[in-house]
Amino acid sequence: MVEAKTAVETKVERPVPTPSIYVDTAPFWDGARNGKLVLQYCRDTGKFQHYPRPVSLYTGSRNLGWREVSGKGVIYACTVIRVMGPGLAGRLPLSLATIELDEEVRMLGNILGADPDGVAIGQRVEVTWDRLADEVPYPAFRLA
Amino acid sequence: MATKKRDIVIAGYVETAIDFKTGRSAYDLAGEALAGLLAATGIEKDVIDGLAVTVPLSEAPNPFFAVYMTEALGLTPTWLNYGGTGGCSATGGVARAASAIRDGQCEVAIVLSADAPSTAWRAQYGAYRGEFQDPPGVQGPPASFGLLMSRYHHQYGIKTEALGKIAITQREHALHNANAYAKFKKPLTMEDYLQSRVIADPLRLLDCVMFCDGANAFLVTTPARARSLGITKMVYPTAYAEITNLNGNLPCPDITETGFSRIAPKVYRQSGLTPKDIRMFHPYDDFTIAVLMQFEDFGFCKRGQGSDFTLDTDLSHLGALPLNTGGGQISAGQPGLASGGLNLAEAVRQMFGEGAGRQVEEPRNALVTGIGVIPYARNWGTSAAMILEA
Repeated sequence: MVEAKTAVETKVERPVPTPSIYVDTAPFWDGARNGKLVLQYCRDTGKFQHYPRPVSLYTGSRNLGWREVSGKGVIYACTVIRVMGPGLAGRLPLSLATIELDEEVRMLGNILGADPDGVAIGQRVEVTWDRLADEVPYPAFRLA
Repeated sequence: MATKKRDIVIAGYVETAIDFKTGRSAYDLAGEALAGLLAATGIEKDVIDGLAVTVPLSEAPNPFFAVYMTEALGLTPTWLNYGGTGGCSATGGVARAASAIRDGQCEVAIVLSADAPSTAWRAQYGAYRGEFQDPPGVQGPPASFGLLMSRYHHQYGIKTEALGKIAITQREHALHNANAYAKFKKPLTMEDYLQSRVIADPLRLLDCVMFCDGANAFLVTTPARARSLGITKMVYPTAYAEITNLNGNLPCPDITETGFSRIAPKVYRQSGLTPKDIRMFHPYDDFTIAVLMQFEDFGFCKRGQGSDFTLDTDLSHLGALPLNTGGGQISAGQPGLASGGLNLAEAVRQMFGEGAGRQVEEPRNALVTGIGVIPYARNWGTSAAMILEA
C-alpha cells in the first residue's frame, strides 16, 4: 500500500515532460533510454549546443545533428535548492549545478549521491541517471 | 561626442500603492494609474495619442492585451507598443515612445505598466523549460540566481555583509515610501539579514523580491508640447541603451559578464556623464547581487570590487550615491512585470523634488536600469539603462 502510494506521488510530482514541444528533441530522449547522453550540435562548426535549438547558435543554419557526448565535465556553478516547489517533493535539499561538459557545452543538472554542501565549483563530474515517473531516465551527474 | 539630445521629456509620473493579493486586475490598476497621471499632470485624457503597455504576467495569455487596454481606458492611440522585455519594458517604453515622437507617429505618449501576479499568475513560458529546466528542479529565478552568485563568488568573492547592507539600506528607504508594501515597513538589521533563511545557496530570502500587485505610468512628450499643456515639471531622458541575450552565440560564456557592461559605456557617451557625475542610482533590484554587480558594470568601482564598494559607500538618500531611494523592489514589493517602472518612478519623483522624507539634495540626474527575463544557465535576458537629467 505504502509503495503504491509513493509510486503514485512520484508520478504526480515528477512527470515525464512531453518531448519535442518546440523543436525535435527525440534523440535526447532516445539516448537517455539507452543510457547515453545525446546532445544537439552544429554540423557546420562541430560545436554543441544545449538546450536544443531550431538553428545553429553559431551560423543560423539548420544543418544540425545529434551526437553522444562523454558525460564528463566540471562544475561551473552550483547551488542547493532548499525551498519546496513543483516536482521537488522528497528531493530537498537538492544539489543543482551548471555543468561544463568536456565537449564545451553547458547543461543544468542535479548532483546525485553527494552531500549537497560538499559540492563545489571545479569538481569533476560524470553523467548518471535519475528517474522520472514510469522509470524514464533523465540525465544527472555524480562526482567523478 | 554626439550632441546630447534634449528634445523629449518625461513630463509626469504616477505609481499606485504596492500590495499583495489585492484581488484586482491589471486593467483596474492601470485605470488607477491613468486617472492618477491625469490628475498629477492636469492634462485631458484625449490629448494622449501614444501608448506603450507592458506585457503583464497576470494577463499573459491574451496576445491582444495592449489593444484591450486602449478599449478599457477609452484611448485612441496612433502609436501602440507592447513591451515584452519584463523589467526593461518601462525604460524601454519611454525610449520607444521618444523614437515614435521623433518620427511623428504621436505627440503625447503614456508608458503604462500594470500587473497583478500575486492575485492571478497566468504566465506559461513553455518552450524548452518543461524538458530541460523543470526536471532538474529550476522552478524559478532563485535557483538561477543561486547559480549566478556561486560563480561570482568563485571568481571575485562576495562579502555577505555587503548584500546585507544593500537590503538594509533599501529597507530604510522603504520606510519613507507611502507606496511601499505595508508588511515591509519595518527596519531591518544585519542580524535579521544574516539569520534570513538560505533558499538557494548562497541566496537568502532577504536577497529576493516578492511578487505583489501594482501599476505605474509616465507621460512622454516634447518639452514644447508639455509646456503647451501647462506642465512645468519635466526631466530629460538623455541616454538609453539596451541589449538582449548577451553572448547568445557562445556555448560557455562568463556568466559574471552582464549586458550592463556593454551598455554602460553607451549611456555615458550619449549623456557625456561619467560615473562620478551620477547623482543617484536606481538599479533594477530583483536580487541584491544584481545591484552589487551593477555597481561594477556602471563603473562606480572595478569588476570584482562590488562588495568593498558597497561596504565603503554611503548609499542612503543623504549619502554619496543614493541607492533605490524608494526602497526598490526588494523593500517596496515587486509589482510583477510593472517592476521596471518602480525604479523609474522613484527617479522621476526625486528629480521633481517630491521625495519628501527621503528627498535627495540637488537631484540633477539619475541612472535607472532594467533587467528582464531569466534565461537558461546564464544571468539575465535583457539589460536596459536610462539616464535622466534636469
